[in-house]
Amino acid sequence: MLNKVLDLLDPLLILSAALMGVALYLIFVWVPTETNQGAVQRILYFHVPVAWGSMMGIFVVSGSSFMYLWKKNEKWDRLAVASAEVGVIFGAMMLLSGMIWARPVWAVWWTGEAKLTTALILFFIYVAYLMFRAYFPPGTQRQRLAAIIGVIGAVDTPIIYFAANLWSQAHPPLVTGPAADAESALGSDLGTVLLASTLAFSFLFIYMVQTRYKIRKSEDDLVELKRASSASAMTGAN
Amino acid sequence: MPKMKFALALIIALTFSVAVAQTSSADHEPPISGIVVGVETDDSGNLTRFAVSDSTGAVNTFTIFDGTEYGLENQAGDRWVSTQGEEPSEAARRLRDHRERFAPITVTSENGTAFSVVEREEGKLETNLGYLFAVFAITWALFFAYVLYMGRKQRVLQHEIARLKCTIG
Repeated sequence: MLNKVLDLLDPLLILSAALMGVALYLIFVWVPTETNQGAVQRILYFHVPVAWGSMMGIFVVSGSSFMYLWKKNEKWDRLAVASAEVGVIFGAMMLLSGMIWARPVWAVWWTGEAKLTTALILFFIYVAYLMFRAYFPPGTQRQRLAAIIGVIGAVDTPIIYFAANLWSQAHPPLVTGPAADAESALGSDLGTVLLASTLAFSFLFIYMVQTRYKIRKSEDDLVELKRASSASAMTGAN
Repeated sequence: MPKMKFALALIIALTFSVAVAQTSSADHEPPISGIVVGVETDDSGNLTRFAVSDSTGAVNTFTIFDGTEYGLENQAGDRWVSTQGEEPSEAARRLRDHRERFAPITVTSENGTAFSVVEREEGKLETNLGYLFAVFAITWALFFAYVLYMGRKQRVLQHEIARLKCTIG
């Protein structure tokens, strides 16, 4: 039992858990309650970091897919798969938290505006990428085609980022990042909490990708060992 | 004896006036804040009715009259102040704009007739904690389940690899 627990403990996991503790203290104790939306506004400190995680995911998928197409090295393909799987988890969190937040603030669970639609498309890109890998026969052809999907999928990322500013609707405009309007940027207290929470989720994202990468490596090793095992069994039979 | 009758009449009158006052104050419904979910106009485009969904999801429908007062802001923050009698079609346009932007409003009314329709100034802070809890509980449960799933899968794979390595020798 102790070994199982120790196996789960990783410096990155410990770091993200510690940062998460700090972020939770800041979210629920330190930062003042927003006057217009009330307590539900604190979903922001969860929604924005997981959205950031899902965007990081597609960046890593496209970057490593590009590197795979260029270098033909298996490790880039493994990194792309690991990042896509973690990205789909973060994407699902982003959609779920956004929907739950929209219900008390907008009185609807979902609306077809640009920011939400493009975020949903990003989620579907992740799902399509993973489904393609699951159902296409294994081999270099699968890896190459999956890499092309991964690179093309990144086109959606800047559209999501700028959607609220390009098509001004219900979703608030950008509050962080290089394109954020100074008038809509968060105040210093809110910005500090958002930064702490984003850091915590970024480390959690890296830990999850790292763990998934190791699993993918073990799966590949297992396939190789099974081949070697059946080859040695056939040699023994002859 | 006449003094007694006068005192009794005074008590009855006071009780009656208090009862009437309470009844009339019961007609003043508390203001309702929420999102515009429906706007109805007549053939000329003048506002006739609108509906507001509050933070509990309940939909409240309001009729209007010429004296209904408006104080609504556009996306840029410019405030439009008027009454239904002065600009009957503008009110419909403003409320539709609020509906599209999910901008919250506050309505004061009596018996379903809106007296004032203004920009919401503050929300109900205590009523939406359940949504905050739902976000944190659901998403953390999913994260932990995924991390545990990965840990278990890794252990199974390592065990299988060790077994095959022993078999191959």
